[in-house]
Amino acid sequence: MAKKIILLVVVLAMVAAACSSTDSGATAQKSLLDDIVARGKLLCGVNNAVPGFGFVDSAGEFSGFDIDFCRAVAAGVLGDPNAVEFKPLTAQQRFTALQSGEIDVLIRNTTWTASRDGSEGATFLTTTFYDGQGMMVRDDSSYQTLEDMANTSICVLSGTTTELNLAARFNSIPYTPLTFDDNDQLRNAFVAGQCDGWTSDKSQLAGVRSNWPDGEGGPAALRILDETFSKEPLGPVVRDGDSKWADAVNWIVIATIQGEEFGLTQGNVASYSGDNVEIKRFLGQPTPSSDGGTTVFDPGLGLPADYAVKVIGAVGNYGEIFDRNVGPDTALGISRGLNDLWTHGGLMYPPPYR
Amino acid sequence: MASRTTSTRRRGPALLWVQENLFSTWLNTLFTLIFGGLFLFAGVALVRFFLHAQFQIIVTNLTLFMVGRFPRELLWRVWVSNSLIVAAIGLAAGASRGSAKAGLEEAGLPVGGSRPREVVQRFWPILLLILVLLSLSRTWVPTGLTIVMGVTGLGAFACGVVLPASRRNWSFFVAVLMLVSAFAVLVVLGGKGWDSWGGLHLTVVVSALGILFAFPLGVLFAVGRRSSLPAIRFLSVWYIEFVRGVPLITLLLMGMFALRFLLPRGLNPGSVTRVLIAITLFSGAYVAENVRGGLQAVPKGQMEAALALGMGTWTTQRRIVLPQALRAVIPALVGQFISLFKDTSLLSIVGILELLSVSKIVNAQPSFFGQGLASVTLPFVGLIYWVGSYTMSRESRRIEGRLGVGER
Amino acid sequence: MWWRDVGTLRIVAQVVAVAAAFAFLGYLYRNLVTNLRAQGIGTGFEFLARPAGVNVAGSGFEASQPVRSVILLGVKNTLALVIVGVPVLTVVGVVVGIARLSSNWLVRKAASVYVETLRNIPPLLVILIAFNAVLLPLPTIDNALHPLGVLVVSNRELGVPWLVPREGSGLYLLVLTVALVLAAGIWVWRTRRFDSTGAPHHRVLWSSAFLVGVGIGAYFLIGTPFQVSLPEVRDRIVVGGMAARASYVAVLVALAMYTASHVAEITRGSILAVPKGQTEAANALALTRFQRLRFVVLPQAFRIAIPPMINQFLNFTKNTSLGIAVGYAEVTLVTFQAIGNGYPAPQMILILMGVYLVFSLTISALVNILNRRLQFVTR
Repeated sequence: MAKKIILLVVVLAMVAAACSSTDSGATAQKSLLDDIVARGKLLCGVNNAVPGFGFVDSAGEFSGFDIDFCRAVAAGVLGDPNAVEFKPLTAQQRFTALQSGEIDVLIRNTTWTASRDGSEGATFLTTTFYDGQGMMVRDDSSYQTLEDMANTSICVLSGTTTELNLAARFNSIPYTPLTFDDNDQLRNAFVAGQCDGWTSDKSQLAGVRSNWPDGEGGPAALRILDETFSKEPLGPVVRDGDSKWADAVNWIVIATIQGEEFGLTQGNVASYSGDNVEIKRFLGQPTPSSDGGTTVFDPGLGLPADYAVKVIGAVGNYGEIFDRNVGPDTALGISRGLNDLWTHGGLMYPPPYR
Repeated sequence: MASRTTSTRRRGPALLWVQENLFSTWLNTLFTLIFGGLFLFAGVALVRFFLHAQFQIIVTNLTLFMVGRFPRELLWRVWVSNSLIVAAIGLAAGASRGSAKAGLEEAGLPVGGSRPREVVQRFWPILLLILVLLSLSRTWVPTGLTIVMGVTGLGAFACGVVLPASRRNWSFFVAVLMLVSAFAVLVVLGGKGWDSWGGLHLTVVVSALGILFAFPLGVLFAVGRRSSLPAIRFLSVWYIEFVRGVPLITLLLMGMFALRFLLPRGLNPGSVTRVLIAITLFSGAYVAENVRGGLQAVPKGQMEAALALGMGTWTTQRRIVLPQALRAVIPALVGQFISLFKDTSLLSIVGILELLSVSKIVNAQPSFFGQGLASVTLPFVGLIYWVGSYTMSRESRRIEGRLGVGER
Repeated sequence: MWWRDVGTLRIVAQVVAVAAAFAFLGYLYRNLVTNLRAQGIGTGFEFLARPAGVNVAGSGFEASQPVRSVILLGVKNTLALVIVGVPVLTVVGVVVGIARLSSNWLVRKAASVYVETLRNIPPLLVILIAFNAVLLPLPTIDNALHPLGVLVVSNRELGVPWLVPREGSGLYLLVLTVALVLAAGIWVWRTRRFDSTGAPHHRVLWSSAFLVGVGIGAYFLIGTPFQVSLPEVRDRIVVGGMAARASYVAVLVALAMYTASHVAEITRGSILAVPKGQTEAANALALTRFQRLRFVVLPQAFRIAIPPMINQFLNFTKNTSLGIAVGYAEVTLVTFQAIGNGYPAPQMILILMGVYLVFSLTISALVNILNRRLQFVTR
């Protein structure tokens, strides 16, 4: 009997010892930028099924507007646009993946909102695409304004700001939302007449419309209502609390826009030999300094001085990225509109690099 | 009941069959008309589907469907790996056929059938699927490589058959070694870890590894559930009933979202690893129930006899109980594998690039976007699942018959 | 020597096992708490009171209502699937199972094709195909069909007639419940009478006559407490009756058909498992085919089929989680969306698992009770 008691005590002591060991200490506070340089690879959270922005081609390669910006960041930080590992994420996973450090940056046509900045532990950077939410209806229907669509069924993708914006805009107007997990189901429902309207970002709607098969009436069979009923500024997102990394990504994105303003393209950026001081500074070329010599400008971002050359050389300037993926000649066929340079009436206004 | 006529008019066998099977009573006649109409309607719809459907989306993306985003320049690894697997299966099948032949010859019985025709009868869905896939490929390379694979498999089978009896166990060991190296060839020396795998390849790998890892877990908990120690029994029951009571999707969600919280900081397993952990936990409980059923099928008298002979618990389990139990367990295990194969479709919901999600992403490519081609890709994916599942369940029933499960 | 004493070893083994299990779980829990705190996410369940921020289609649910309400709504939607789906799939499955044994070759083949096709495709795919190939091709709400004048069939909503309670409905339901209990009593009384005297019991006749009589009588005495409401299409929605959304119907039809294929196999297996001697004896006694099925084969087959059938009911319940693919707002989709809105994943998934566990354990408990009552005593 005594032996059994002793045994029990010993075992309980083991259990107590196991339970009382404390967890290891906190991690040191250094920036993700250094980690990425040490690692040699960028982890980019992206979409794999959004036409124009993030999709996978038949060779298994990622392609799209957001993908190009991932490559731009890799080129700027690591010098190699292919040093990226793309991690496709669902809408539900994106912020948790960012918070947990599974990805370094999220470039996944994510809308910048206050609550996401505040409570998702995320920091939104320069907007790369100003989009808005619109409504697409069949051309032969009588709806001209959103008020006309009372008591209709509207198809919408679930888990997105689109859903909430729809609810907010249709505040007192009764309607029936039909939510879907992916665009295929939604499209089929729309074609079958299950819903009267399809709401999504106007860039997506434009793409769908321009690809509408002729067997179903071609693009002329659909109409996008004029009203844009929400603002959808889309841009890269990084984790809160790492300002060095945030600044680095931010200025890489800005570099593409600045490059377009300066007229630098993928073809000519590496061979620039002009005299414009602003451009030379931007490209990390030596510029005259106050004491008569030359100096290479280093804004203290932690990036190599010629990162702009690498970025624009890898993916081109903003205009080239836009035209290649979502421009008027692509399947989406979107015109620059708000996404044009400020000099052409758009909202792309790069802060000065000095 | 069919009323046999005593008329002396002779009817051809075909007509007699039709009368008995289709028109024997008024009710049957009615059913024949209704279902005949249904079959006709379905047949016409199917033909129309094949005539009008645009298969270009599958043709362009066939590699994506098969291996996902596996780097195209490393595809030779996949072919080598598949050849090794086919060879392993061929060798094992050959060895078992060899031992069956030897047994028959020893007993003086005639050795059975013409193999090719029987093989085609057994495996016609898979052969058909391979033909369909090869016809959808753009170049002749996959066809050539498939032929090479087939030849390798047949060669291995032939080797297995002619092996002398002393080498037969050795051949199973070699087969296992080949399977391991099939896995290794994909990963080591510049290969890609399973986070880069995708498509049908990933589906099969995840199902196979899921069952493989779940098996020891399942046996552990099955034996634990039958233990006479109440605490261990309680723990086992708790685990089994918990996991069997929740849908797989909740475990997958847990694996994708919550697992990283349960692990110490800095330990960041990849997506496929997390999902495999969830699947292993899930399958483990079901395998445990299957094994428990197998253990229960062993007559109690066996264990009493072993006890009477003075065997201890472990010896009894190892030499008497488990071999008999596994006879009943294997068909159930195969059934579990088939279930898992189908359940991998759920991985598309948590963002893993397996077969069903490829269907989703190819519909977002610029050349196929917005054309409603899900009506082509979904049936294609369904066909692949159907072929795999149907073939495996038929084989499982055959194995059941051969093992004599359920008979004394 | 205590370490060779079997009794001691048994206790030691158990204690070690339990200690190891608890240590492991404790380790996981500590990691969980540490990691959650590091991310600034609470470890408790207070988030349940915060606004959900999700919109649930077609239910008037506001995004500002608390998370626990949206979870309850999800549970209600899941129940709606289970309550309707289980009877439907049982009926279809048993019919198809019997059809597979029919003497008519076409019927047999049709049933075989049905079973072998559906059994071998993943249920998720069945749902997707049912939605795309069955639901969507139905006519649009403007051209909705009105079969028999009482249903509305469109690809947006389906309408069936429903009863609308008026005053006195509560009293009526109470009366019905009492009548049901009394009818059970009548059943028992007639059975006992049969056991003791051998006179035919006609218990089904007696109980149902009583129930129907009381039902009709009370209905008129209380003054028509229910009213039949017919669905009709107005302003592109279905008003009146009970409107079922297309995603609900798609998931219901798909999962019911899928699970029915398994039930058909179980039915066929259980009928074949009835010893052949029973069929031969029934034939020798000159029972008709129907009598043979009804009195000899099916009751025995039923007993064999119950455990695997209940397993299929459980599978159906768990598979309702796949409604997420077509946007049906059952409890898994709701949880998924809440996680996407930033609510802590571990707690939400725990709640989700808890919900399904309650379903499963309830059904299992009912099964065990049923099983015990139906067991043959075997050697």
